[in-house]
Amino acid sequence: MELLNNLVLGFSTALLVENVLYCFVGVLLGTAVGVLPGIGPTATVAMLLPITFSFEPVTALIMLAGIYYGAQYGGSTTAILINLPGESSAAVTALDGHEMARQGRAGAALAVAAIGSFIAGTVATVALAVAAPPLARVALQFGPADYFSLVLLGLIVSITLARGSALKALAMIALGVLLGTVGQDIYTGTPRFVFEQRELYGGINFVSLAVGMFGVAEILRNLENEQNRATVISKVTNLWPTREDRRRTVGPILRGTGLGSALGVLPGGGHVLASFTSYAVEKRISKRQQEFGHGAIEGVAGPESANNAAAQTSFIPLLTLGLPAHPVMALMVGAFIVHGITPGPNVITDEPALFWGLIASMWIGNVLLVLLNLPLIGLWVRMLRIPYQVLFPMIILFAAIGTYSVGFNAYDVYAIAFFGILGYVLIKCGCEPAPLLLGFVLGPLLEENLRRALIISRGDPSVFLTRPISAVLLTLTVAALVVAVLPTIRKRREVVFAEED
Amino acid sequence: MRTSSRYRAAARMIAAIGVVSLAAACSGNGGATGGGGTGGYPDQNITFVVPFSAGGPTDTVTRMIAEPMAAKLGAKIVVQNVEGAGGTVGAGEVARAKPDGYTVLMHHIGMSTAPSLYKDLGYKPLEDFATIGLVTEVPMTVVARKDFAPKTLQELVTYVKANAGKVTLANAGIGAASHLCGLLFQSAAGVKLQEVPYEGTGPALTDLVGGQVDFMCDQTTNTSGQISAGGVKAYAVTTPERVKSLPDVPTTTEAGLPKLQVSVWHGLYVPAGTPQDVVQKLSEALKAALADQKVIDQMAKLGTAPVPATAATPQAHRAKLEEQMGTWSKVIADSGVKVS
Amino acid sequence: MERRRSFPDVLAGGIFVLIGGAFVVGALGYELGTPLRMGPGAFPLLVGVAVAALGLAIVIKGLIAGEVASFGPIPWRAVVVIVLAILFFGFTIRGLGFVPTSAITALLTTLASSRVRLLTAVAVAAGLTVASTLIFVVGLQLRIPLWGPWLGF
Repeated sequence: MELLNNLVLGFSTALLVENVLYCFVGVLLGTAVGVLPGIGPTATVAMLLPITFSFEPVTALIMLAGIYYGAQYGGSTTAILINLPGESSAAVTALDGHEMARQGRAGAALAVAAIGSFIAGTVATVALAVAAPPLARVALQFGPADYFSLVLLGLIVSITLARGSALKALAMIALGVLLGTVGQDIYTGTPRFVFEQRELYGGINFVSLAVGMFGVAEILRNLENEQNRATVISKVTNLWPTREDRRRTVGPILRGTGLGSALGVLPGGGHVLASFTSYAVEKRISKRQQEFGHGAIEGVAGPESANNAAAQTSFIPLLTLGLPAHPVMALMVGAFIVHGITPGPNVITDEPALFWGLIASMWIGNVLLVLLNLPLIGLWVRMLRIPYQVLFPMIILFAAIGTYSVGFNAYDVYAIAFFGILGYVLIKCGCEPAPLLLGFVLGPLLEENLRRALIISRGDPSVFLTRPISAVLLTLTVAALVVAVLPTIRKRREVVFAEED
Repeated sequence: MRTSSRYRAAARMIAAIGVVSLAAACSGNGGATGGGGTGGYPDQNITFVVPFSAGGPTDTVTRMIAEPMAAKLGAKIVVQNVEGAGGTVGAGEVARAKPDGYTVLMHHIGMSTAPSLYKDLGYKPLEDFATIGLVTEVPMTVVARKDFAPKTLQELVTYVKANAGKVTLANAGIGAASHLCGLLFQSAAGVKLQEVPYEGTGPALTDLVGGQVDFMCDQTTNTSGQISAGGVKAYAVTTPERVKSLPDVPTTTEAGLPKLQVSVWHGLYVPAGTPQDVVQKLSEALKAALADQKVIDQMAKLGTAPVPATAATPQAHRAKLEEQMGTWSKVIADSGVKVS
Repeated sequence: MERRRSFPDVLAGGIFVLIGGAFVVGALGYELGTPLRMGPGAFPLLVGVAVAALGLAIVIKGLIAGEVASFGPIPWRAVVVIVLAILFFGFTIRGLGFVPTSAITALLTTLASSRVRLLTAVAVAAGLTVASTLIFVVGLQLRIPLWGPWLGF
């Protein structure tokens, strides 16, 4: 009953004309900026944050939340259309999403992403409304040792992201982890592998890495045999998912939603794992494993749903405890403060209209996002008809500007060229970039939590086995490793190097 | 011809994106103001460089004062975040900027500690910058997980001395305010503790609330919400006077550790060589902004207040910077921390 | 199963060995610390060794049971031109300003395609410069001067 009252309060706040309007503006701006290559959701939110400062607190936060999931949606669009992920979850979407686009099924991929995101958003909003405080308390049980084990599990699971050799995937993951160590060590402040360049103290920029390994490498591959190929994308067949598509995506969407909702609650970076855990699960249980990496619609539906659910539930630690789960949430904390709201456990009781209004607005935002994006699909798909000689310079130029505009750091731009070449060579040698990207994102979390757990346990490594959560996760990790490596030992894995014919 | 229709599609696409962005620009123009500029400075936009991420405490303070300052100066102020290496990347950039008053740096206590922490800083705080004035001094609080045994600051000192190898002290990274306060605590209490660094205040506070680490010292901005909700336990505030939003928390002097005096002070800088009248104009604008009721209210909600008008001057700011550089070079040298 | 050598596999393995090894050498220059307080060098050392070891395994596998048959053609012109364009952008954006840098970067990039005609390239570069100025400078209020200090005005 109380829940009902709260929801009524929430919707009466969120449905105020002004709030709906700015929710829409937020979603629209988020999508528009997030779609630009080289600008990921975090950068989008940081760029657009100041716009919200001049509004009422509820309105500002509603708009900001709208910008956030709008940006994520926009990022997925770029990943599907031009294989250019702006954050790690979009790198997973790009695997099969872009492959679908190449087969002329970009429309179906975009539609499934939109619909999956909407369903996931709806379920996660309900979860937020019903169970936010208890979920947050559970999340606090996770200590550094548990996060270490969780991240390790995530890294092993990401082997499945590769369609080829498990050995190469493992090497790419490890290389990603290694690249993640560049920059200032947070424990001692020692700058590592920076060649005395202060600009590198912050480490390698994720977007530079992604733009290089995915974007530039892809462009170079497309320019390889220009003479024989008129356009990169084959004819667009149907804009909408077929009945068969719809049937195949129900399961992945539901499983992805569940997985994402659960992982998103963890404040120590669980949301990063959402999309590719979902991908791994779908690939593992699918009867059409060989289709994954070659345009399996499940590979878009699952991760996209998981990602959106996690994006939604990652608000739980922030709203109920005042604790930000990731950089975007830290920006939200800043927004709270600017508006004179002290983030903390009291927000839910002191500002019920804000708390429930924000939750209700998330659902409204999801509705608006679907309404906005389904009609846009036609427009996006038409973008694929832009001649490649216009498209690829546009990608390179926008990516360079976008990357530069985030930190005004020329090294972030140089890094695009470096990783473009490295990525191109590695891809030609049959090493796929997605596992590397995930290793890069998860590596710092792995190191940080390993060292932190050991400091807290006073150097006793048995802490990883004596803490129950960690022990369970480590057992799963071993199991996942066995499952991933066994087929390679038993039989040669599918040896397909995506050479088009 | 087909190609031309494709080009048109491209053009339409680009135009669509452009229009949307234009809308963004229009709604983003909140900071622009009228106000009569009297010729000379300023006749173009002024950039405030914040050497930390958008949404952080320093960024928040900057944006609070930027609007009233812009109104007073009659020019638009654009806040730009240049992050990296504990604020030294942004500071270095401003040190090398043209000394014309159009590039202004907002920095906090880190300005005085960077020379002790970093070997090749590339700039000298006292020589390469001219001070404009202090902005605010944010008090810090010593907080612990809620089931941590000691009940008062005195008990905490005794406890950590007896259990020095076991107690964990969290901080938000090398050179962060919480790290500096932790160093000062250890030196005031005469003990060496196991420090647990985090990447930023958020994760550190998360583990403190979750009971994974024992205690830390951080700005009231970050802790007051948790303190009043009972998520963490507060021992003391590190300023001479109690904080309005936390009336029950004693000062470190009251609680028996008077040597633990620290606040996160913020100040504005321009590159050295900026004309004196420009510095004066900026300082006047700062004073006006700090007297603005809206700014006072916003800061009160953060558990802080603008500095008195006498401190918002180039002279007072410079004196503070010199004094702090002396204090911290000793504390940091004693602790043996050196970043690079 | 037929045994075959694979040049790309050996190359990939070699890259891993090289990068892993470089990081190992670098990591040895930092403090390694103790298990209680691992130094900044410990983790990169561990992972560097892992990368190098995996690389070695890939080399060996590539010698006896390769996966990738051939490396395929390399679009040298595109590689050189695109790298140059990106480096040019990073190097001159501050000095030349937004408009000239964008225009030249776009023009250079366009020339990466061997099928492009000069007139088209100029048209595309001009269009992209206008579009990016509208989006990033007008729209997103990017704080980069349109014309940089190197131009002297």
